[in-house]
Amino acid sequence: MAGYRGATAIVGSGQTPFYKRGTSPDAEVKLCLRAIVAACEDAGVEPADVDGFVSFGSDHNDGQRLMLGLGTKELRFGALSWTHGGGSAGAVGLASAAIVSGQADVVVVYRAMAENRSGRLRVAVAMDDLAAQYMVNGVAAPITRCGLITNRMLEARGVPRSTMTAMVRAAYYHARNNPNAYGRDADFDEDIYERSRMIAEPNRVYDCSRENDHASALLMVSAERARDLVDRPAYVLSAPTGTDLAWGGRNELNDRSDSFAGFAAVSRRLWAESGYRPGDVDVAQVYENTSGLGVGAMLDLGFCAPEAAGDFFRFENLIAPSGGLPVNTSGGNLAEGFIHGLSLVNEAMRQIRGDSPNQLPGASLSLVTGGPGDAVASAALLGTEETL
Amino acid sequence: VSYLPEERIRGGIGADEQYWEYLGAKEFRLSRCADCLAWLWPAHWRCRHCGSWEIGWEPVEPVGRVYAWTRTWYVFDQSKGRAGDIPYVTVLAEIPAADGARVLGVLAGGDEGLAIGAPVRGQCVDASPKSLDYPSLTWTLVK
Repeated sequence: MAGYRGATAIVGSGQTPFYKRGTSPDAEVKLCLRAIVAACEDAGVEPADVDGFVSFGSDHNDGQRLMLGLGTKELRFGALSWTHGGGSAGAVGLASAAIVSGQADVVVVYRAMAENRSGRLRVAVAMDDLAAQYMVNGVAAPITRCGLITNRMLEARGVPRSTMTAMVRAAYYHARNNPNAYGRDADFDEDIYERSRMIAEPNRVYDCSRENDHASALLMVSAERARDLVDRPAYVLSAPTGTDLAWGGRNELNDRSDSFAGFAAVSRRLWAESGYRPGDVDVAQVYENTSGLGVGAMLDLGFCAPEAAGDFFRFENLIAPSGGLPVNTSGGNLAEGFIHGLSLVNEAMRQIRGDSPNQLPGASLSLVTGGPGDAVASAALLGTEETL
Repeated sequence: VSYLPEERIRGGIGADEQYWEYLGAKEFRLSRCADCLAWLWPAHWRCRHCGSWEIGWEPVEPVGRVYAWTRTWYVFDQSKGRAGDIPYVTVLAEIPAADGARVLGVLAGGDEGLAIGAPVRGQCVDASPKSLDYPSLTWTLVK
């Protein structure tokens, strides 16, 4: 899209450690500040120069709460991308919109959670998003909704369960090489996975994302400024958020599309705006609230036909560096840790920069997806200078 | 007289209050535009087809087929009332008589023959802690 494609870039990544939920030694705002300051230092930008603040979901850490800690000279733009995990990748698009339109120059995209302050995320999402229709009927958490959607994908659409197993195995395989992954030392093999406790069929505990105390931040500027700041900016080729009426509203209660995870509209925009096709993508960070919906998102985005899913979603095809499409190379939401999906953007950016813990040599197109199955979906395609 | 608890479940847009009230009176009704007669489910405040603000509630025979299902083995913070029923099955049933509206309900009776496409019939059930003090609809597999 003229004026937007490649006009902004991610130049800094900052992350705190992943802590067990509810055990962060720091207050939530302090976690948030640590991640933002780290992202600024990574890019060589003064924290006081950040003038735009973008987050998503139920994040409470608005810019006005942060500015006295950062020394923000002027807060010019602050916005929350509506919806929950569905907006994680799209927050990058919102920040780009602010930069391209001249409303802000240095925008930080972030998400922080310390659950002794903000409570269980699954409760926040349920209370905010799962209306009485769900709660009354024992669909009391996002995972249960994911069970309904995924069972249908397996039973009515013929996608094999092995696709889910492959996604989980790839996540834990990659986490082994990531010193920051919360799940890097977890006992995991296929047998442990198959015997692990069932939560909401077909989802076993290993199919479900973690919840961690953590903060992640990305620093974004215009493409021109990015070239002055860093060697290898991760340019934003497209980062749409949205949905169409067929999925919109209350999705599986209403869904009249043949979408698996709500990405039909976002998929059309992503490929049209970026000018690329799924087969061009080198590496993908796929939001997994559950493994099955991660598979559904990739099917919606066109990475393979549903009838070819069993072949595409094989462990060997999903791991770096040898697989055809390495996914979740940091361990992802299942095995690295979970900050509502935002840390996937940090990893997507590292793959472009070349310092992923499971680097794909020469990666030039790096995809990240927002929360699947949410009322609104998002995705972002990042690229090197050569992809512009 | 209301069949609903004083404190409503948050998160919805509030357009389905009549759905629960009718269930409390042992009636299964779904929302339908009073002007263009389009079925509107999930319920909303305005008809997206013709722009009407007049939304009615029409009796529907609670008969449909399984569109999706899941069996829950875990007690979540807001499903403690169902702890004694673990594992329980939630069914999302499609109702042809209401233009394929999909309605959630916990499965009552046995789960033999549970599969997508299986025919189900609904029953109105009194409010209880299981359903967070709302009246509810349960589905039963039709043999």
